Amino acid sequence: MRMASRIGAVGLSVLLAAGTVAASAKEFVFVSWGGAYQDAIREAWLKPFMEATGTKVTEETSPETAKIQAMVTSGAVTWDIVTDGGLGVTRGAKAGLFEEITPEMVDQSGLYPEILNKYGVPSEIFSTAFAFSTEAFPDGKPQPESWADFWNVEKFPGSRALFGQPQSVLEAALMADGVAQADVYTVLATKEGQDRAFDKVRELKPHVGLWWTGGAQPVQAIGSGEVVMANGWNGRLQAGITEGLPLKIVWNGAVAEVGYFMLVKGAPHRDDAIEFLRWVTKPESQAQFHKYVSYGPTMPGAWEFIPQSEWGRLPSSPDILKQSIFLNVDWWLENEAAMVERYNALMQE
Amino acid sequence: MTVLAGDEAARPPPSRLPLLPRGAGLAAGLVVLVFAVLFVWPIVRLIATTVFVDARGWTAFATIVSSPMYRTAFTNTFFISGLVTLITLLAAYPIAYFMATVQPRTAKLIAFVVLLPFWTSALVRTTAWMVLLQRRGIVNSLLMNTGITDAPIPLLYNLSGVIIGMVHVLLPFMVLPLYATFLSVDQRLIAAAEGLGAPRFTVLRRIVLPLTAPGAAAGALIVFMSAIGTFITPVLMGGPRQMMIAQAISYHMQKQLDWQMAGALSLVLLAVTLVLFLVYRQVFGLDRLVAADAGVAGDPDGPLRGVLGLGRLPAGIMAVAVGLFLIAPIAMVYPLSISSSPFLQFPPARWTFDWYAKLADDPKWLRAALSSLRVAAEAIALSVILGTAAAVAASRIAPRLRAGMEVLILLPMVVPTIITAIALYSQYAPLGILGSPESLAIGHTILAAPFVFITVSASLKSFDRNLELAALGLGASWSAMFRRIMLPAILPGILAGAVFAFITSFDDVVLSIFLTNSASRTLPRVIYEGIKDDTDPAVVALAAILITISFGAFLLSLLARDRRA
Repeated sequence: MRMASRIGAVGLSVLLAAGTVAASAKEFVFVSWGGAYQDAIREAWLKPFMEATGTKVTEETSPETAKIQAMVTSGAVTWDIVTDGGLGVTRGAKAGLFEEITPEMVDQSGLYPEILNKYGVPSEIFSTAFAFSTEAFPDGKPQPESWADFWNVEKFPGSRALFGQPQSVLEAALMADGVAQADVYTVLATKEGQDRAFDKVRELKPHVGLWWTGGAQPVQAIGSGEVVMANGWNGRLQAGITEGLPLKIVWNGAVAEVGYFMLVKGAPHRDDAIEFLRWVTKPESQAQFHKYVSYGPTMPGAWEFIPQSEWGRLPSSPDILKQSIFLNVDWWLENEAAMVERYNALMQE
Repeated sequence: MTVLAGDEAARPPPSRLPLLPRGAGLAAGLVVLVFAVLFVWPIVRLIATTVFVDARGWTAFATIVSSPMYRTAFTNTFFISGLVTLITLLAAYPIAYFMATVQPRTAKLIAFVVLLPFWTSALVRTTAWMVLLQRRGIVNSLLMNTGITDAPIPLLYNLSGVIIGMVHVLLPFMVLPLYATFLSVDQRLIAAAEGLGAPRFTVLRRIVLPLTAPGAAAGALIVFMSAIGTFITPVLMGGPRQMMIAQAISYHMQKQLDWQMAGALSLVLLAVTLVLFLVYRQVFGLDRLVAADAGVAGDPDGPLRGVLGLGRLPAGIMAVAVGLFLIAPIAMVYPLSISSSPFLQFPPARWTFDWYAKLADDPKWLRAALSSLRVAAEAIALSVILGTAAAVAASRIAPRLRAGMEVLILLPMVVPTIITAIALYSQYAPLGILGSPESLAIGHTILAAPFVFITVSASLKSFDRNLELAALGLGASWSAMFRRIMLPAILPGILAGAVFAFITSFDDVVLSIFLTNSASRTLPRVIYEGIKDDTDPAVVALAAILITISFGAFLLSLLARDRRA
């Protein structure tokens, strides 16, 4: 017991010392989704920032919007920066969870204009594309090149895996049905367009062997031969390729999305956190992230710091961006509940 | 099943006996207070401040009734839970029977096998099942090579996937209570019946089944209630057609931030479950089941051993089959943990110990493991005290009050964990105790207490009240009687409850996400964060280590027994 209490006392004094240091130094709390993604953020941005500025960054994990909501509601905010995709940002902002980021706080004029969001700083661009098994469709034989091919079970027979949620799948269905990329959301905005998208998904349904729910599943399913084609998040698909799995990504018609860093309303270390947001939106910083995960930078200026040999796997590189559309966050926010319900019903038919 | 409620009414009801009614009332009151403060109040407050803040809260109920999606989800939830309960019941009987009629050492081995699933997290178990069950998986290869089928059978992403996954993880909840009642069967009754010429089937039907029924009823209650709240297994191993209501609630809570809809769905789920529970209680309730007077109990060589006659062989084969079913995915963890592929391809390109090295490199794993053990230890201690006190008190108070108390204590099993998590978070945040392992331990205590309550109540059923009366009559104090007479009798129930408490704490992700921070987060949370969208084979290596440790502990316990003997 004495040993234990001595250890306790030492621990307490260390804690107290840490407390006094922290009170005078710069610090903030950064919260993201753990795993390889947060590892990449740490290496690309947090560590260099800490070294350059002497700021102490405490990392937390699982910034579930529901937890932020509970945090803000109960008035005990302990987090500064949280991360999420576009839908999460806008939904959280509507619930009053995030502070608006003004140009005075972070200058975002150098970023791709179509990805700006009042309540979040774009940190990286990722994509939902599809990949096919090169065992099923090897080089030298016909290989799928578009969503129309993804839907073409005569020319490319075999089971498919599709995302178990409608985001990006309805877009893909319309493209497969011949809608031009630029018109996808005009068509999807109408009742007829929605029917058309759902009918197209229904057409493929007998050949969907897996409605995936986690990012690793489509890669695993192609690798194991469970399916011959799947849509999936490009970072995961790329990790499968790096691992030597027999798959190839088709970028034509990819649906790009944006990762954002948000400032929690009432953040206890607001100013130090803002300094970090500025750091992340520098072209040199933006050119670091791809080294750890295959996600692209959010500003054109970053490309001059990224070797051309890497461009082919990054969703925002000029050639790939030309063939992609951006997920329309506003439309989805408006329609998600109805679409998800209809999509669930379709999957259950 | 002849000695039921009717006969009981003819005897003087035991509750009229002077068995410390005031003490029982006091204990019951305390338990109710603890539950009210730590659980009911936060939930009521959350629901009241989210669902019924405006008119939309009421229309949410109309939406639920009219929407085919929710109707399907509710039907699925109760259908799948019922089916899982039935299958676990059938699978658990032979196992529990053999545990009670083999030598203690073998019984321990069986218990070890039954508890194996809990050393892996839900996500790791699912991954292992995928390797076994997928189209080109091991099971399908076996079936096709042996010519049983020509084409692969779809075992995953459909009803069979969900059932396999859920039965696997819920089976222990059925086996342990059953085993506890098998141990307390008065084997003289069997000997007497056989001596009087009763045929084997009659002995089974009139003696063994009724005497083990409390265990079956307790197990079925636990499995059914747990199945209703299951979340991860149906998502990963089922298809869209198997969507269950916990999934929909979590979606509205976390993705849509629509707490009104989530709260309304939870209330409907709660209402339906409570109705089912009250019906169940009327038919199979612990009250209704016969109280066995334990005499010569727990003797592995007693007449119970021979009760199946030649039927012991098929029953044995079935028990072994169930054992293999439990072990298969766990055994897969070892080869997977040294596979070079982070996407868990099997067989892999090459073998490697990289994932073990990765575990050793990152201190977060050890820290999380220690935090998990600490939280689990605290939760076990608290829930055993709370659950046992509740069970003893409930058995001594008026039957009408008892029904209310049972409902109250079983509530945490029915309320979706995500709702509990957010309610507790909102309650703890202003108090400044968030993030401490203790705040999570309190949460786990609430989740685990119902298990202890059920298992202890079941063993109290077979506790001979005359012993208690005799002890008190001979001048023993109530606490001396409890220590020397009652405690030893209900110990199997307490131990089963403690094991369930450990499992509950060690397998929880949702409460941990809300109530801990990066310093105090538990192992399941770290595992979840590692492979929710990603793949991190380090968690498979970790599972292999945990299984090995539990196996080591098992071997040690055998050695320790040898030395004593």
